Amino acid sequence: MLELTGFSRELVAYGPQLLEGLWKTLILAGSVSLSGLVGGILVFGLTLSHQPMVRRVTDAWVSFFIGMPLLVLLFLVYYGFPQWGIRLSPFEVAFWGFTLNVSAYNARYLTTAYRSLDAAELEAADAQGFGHWQIFLWIILPQVLRLSVPALTNQVILNLKDSSIAFLIQYTEFFAQVQELAAQNFRFFQAYVMAGLVYLGLVSVIVLAARRLEARVILPGLER
Amino acid sequence: MALLEVKGLVKRFGDRTVLKDIDFSLEEGETKVIMGPSGCGKSTLLRCLNRLIDPDEGQILFRGEDVTRVGTDVRLLRQRIGFVFQQFALYRHLTALENVTLALRKLKGLSGREADEKALLELRRMDMETHRAKYPAQLSGGQKQRIAIARALAMDPAVLFFDEPTSALDPEMSREVVALINRLRFEGVTMLCVTHDVFLARYVTAQVIFMDAGEIRAEDAPERLLSGHHDARIREFFGNSGGSDA
Repeated sequence: MLELTGFSRELVAYGPQLLEGLWKTLILAGSVSLSGLVGGILVFGLTLSHQPMVRRVTDAWVSFFIGMPLLVLLFLVYYGFPQWGIRLSPFEVAFWGFTLNVSAYNARYLTTAYRSLDAAELEAADAQGFGHWQIFLWIILPQVLRLSVPALTNQVILNLKDSSIAFLIQYTEFFAQVQELAAQNFRFFQAYVMAGLVYLGLVSVIVLAARRLEARVILPGLER
Repeated sequence: MALLEVKGLVKRFGDRTVLKDIDFSLEEGETKVIMGPSGCGKSTLLRCLNRLIDPDEGQILFRGEDVTRVGTDVRLLRQRIGFVFQQFALYRHLTALENVTLALRKLKGLSGREADEKALLELRRMDMETHRAKYPAQLSGGQKQRIAIARALAMDPAVLFFDEPTSALDPEMSREVVALINRLRFEGVTMLCVTHDVFLARYVTAQVIFMDAGEIRAEDAPERLLSGHHDARIREFFGNSGGSDA
């Protein structure tokens, strides 16, 4: 109990740094969730191109970034690129690394949802005289986004949790500050339990928001 | 001048010729029904006419203009041809009203209010105005088909194509849709309808085109095709389909 009280005191003392780290975590997770969604939509759109070459290159792109471990990608850019004179800040590296990775995953989720669409609807849109990108924008995208809400929100949760690896490229997000706190007082157990609880709380907020979103976007007559 | 004139139309898929030297015409205000066994090329023919499928040879004259030639504005052609599908093909993320207004707003450039007015007019014509806020999943098959017809008519097409409009419906709904198509015929809507439904053919048309193995074997009045035609293949087909209603 005394031990906890002592840790609580240190927590309060280290509070500003922890809050700053938490803010940086939220900024990173939030921005890559947004950029990853936009990137995912763009990449998904390219996978539907009429040009076989564009489709092939896009598929290869998606496979590459899904296959490449995120940490390797971050290290490659952060530690490897300076060799060629390209120096980016830890946030820039984390942002672009995550965006490429998350875009690839999101594009795959959207493609999976696309496969469940009724081909007759797309033929009907063609027969009505809609163009390729009009069909994408008004028929395909609204439907695949709806169908992908569970997968896309799950990816937001992964983004939040995975953002902790950004501390390995000197991005002082929440987990980096927790490490700092733990290294100062050697109360590793308490520090990591506290970090776990904070992540759990944030994930719970996302889960609740995702459930509300799912309930909002489900089409009448298609409820389970 | 015929609204639609097809001359020597050929379509091949690989080594298989699915449409062989097709010739026929459709006058303004006329309704024709295309019948024939499954796989005879009826639906492919319909899709060639609005260039959903590109034919390999022949000409399609739409109000005298050859729409098979290079440089044809295919999207504009499709906007002039209403297409009603067997499986309704409504956009399931849109309400009945939105299904009808989408093309009016995005393709014809109508304002939201103008599109709504036009769509409501067509929905009223199909007795579907009260269902305007419903999504496709909340509608019966017959209701979906009425919305699909309203969606096609809203674009003021020169001709309406139907691809097996009653195949996915139970007999009662099927009769409702047939009655609706018949009403459109009396209103002077030009229609070309692919069907297996003998009741539909008898009820709505003066001329039936009979296709078999990618060829037109006969074009005649339904009663002449249905009862003791001189072509054994036609007798066999209508014998098997029973020549019965629905």
